[in-house]
Amino acid sequence: MSSAQKYVWKGAIPLEIHLDESEVTTLPAPPPAIVLAPRMGYLPLLFPLLKPHFTATLPPGVDSIWFDYNGLPLKWYIPTGVLFDLLSVHPQRPWNLTVHFRGYPTSLLLPCEGEDTVKWSFINSLKEAAYVINGNCKNVMNMSQSDQVELWGAVLNGNLESYRRVSSKLKLGIFEDEYTENISLALAKSQQNTGDVDAAGQVKTGRIPVRLYLWTVNEEFDDFEDAPQIDNWDKVFYINRSVEIHNEDGKYFSLNDAIKRILPEFFPESSFVYEGDASFNQSPTEEGESSPDPGPSCHTPEIAEIKFVRIQGIEPKLEIPFSWVVNNLMNPEYYLHICVCLKVSKASAAQ
Amino acid sequence: MSGESPSSVRKVVVHLRATGDAPILKQSKFKIAGTDKFAKVIDFLRRQLHRETLFVYINSAFSPNPDELVIDLYNNFGHDGKLVVNYACSMAWG
Repeated sequence: MSSAQKYVWKGAIPLEIHLDESEVTTLPAPPPAIVLAPRMGYLPLLFPLLKPHFTATLPPGVDSIWFDYNGLPLKWYIPTGVLFDLLSVHPQRPWNLTVHFRGYPTSLLLPCEGEDTVKWSFINSLKEAAYVINGNCKNVMNMSQSDQVELWGAVLNGNLESYRRVSSKLKLGIFEDEYTENISLALAKSQQNTGDVDAAGQVKTGRIPVRLYLWTVNEEFDDFEDAPQIDNWDKVFYINRSVEIHNEDGKYFSLNDAIKRILPEFFPESSFVYEGDASFNQSPTEEGESSPDPGPSCHTPEIAEIKFVRIQGIEPKLEIPFSWVVNNLMNPEYYLHICVCLKVSKASAAQ
Repeated sequence: MSGESPSSVRKVVVHLRATGDAPILKQSKFKIAGTDKFAKVIDFLRRQLHRETLFVYINSAFSPNPDELVIDLYNNFGHDGKLVVNYACSMAWG
């Protein structure tokens, strides 16, 4: 395993968690809870830490934990690190969240009945990823009960070694990637020139499962502090597409190439065209491969510019080989979660 | 949103298949806009079957997140021009 993977698995977000005012029944109000939440974890899993802290002040009722950030209810099935990368545009540490134990917003959030629901969601994602990679998910479905318990335990406890031991049985190795060590060395030596690594490292081609969280802005901002906040989930496009890595003409396939392939609406071929609201009406093609067909309607050609790309709290250079990104930065359910902020011109975004 | 004119919305054929003791629908194939979320398929099934608790799967294998777009599910998991959705009244595939 690479050192990058070890860092990623140790990644955590410091949280300062306040109890929602409506649930405070004692004076003085309880102090906020300060916790380190693993990036790869999920917010409801913090229940055993938070419940004892706030239990004395809660009104009577049945617990069902949920969180909000500045009033935006947080989707529990998105890994905590991804929520932070997406919503805390100007990274705030500790990240201030509000916890609720009552009044679950069933119209806004999927129901969650604690750890079992989170585990179920995780395993389903793992099956989806296996399907994308192998064309079936037999290996996940045939996993023994004890292996499944160990896998989930490894995710809960951030135990990379145990995770590797069990997950290797799933045969989901995406591709061998001789970049990993080279790049680690290259990165250690210098933060630049990742673009000139020999392409020979990419051995296999394959389909990579990606969950991409896209939000667009139409105003320029230089400082993340001035960036508009995401105050509604309707502003985030949740895109689940797979990327097929081709090794064309010995050219290596970069993160930039991958993002453009996932978002053909914004980057058809090499020209930059923004299609307005028709964006996600992609044509269903036989191969499941995105065809950058903008359709017959009148689309104003506009420039879409990548403001930032965040993966595991990192804003990687876009020239970095995609294979390195996948092998080192993916989450344990074999999905690569990418947060992308695009700036599109005001004229097209206002349509 | 102005972009949602009928011609610009790609439709996906969803093939609904009963599993276990779930009732069989009279019509099993439907077209749904690719821009819709999978939640819409689940809601449709709930209304048709008058059941709150329903287990919905793709390719007899997994339950995708209701927030996923139908077009993404089709592109990732569709076969022969359709997306196969299985439904059951009790858990069929853990």
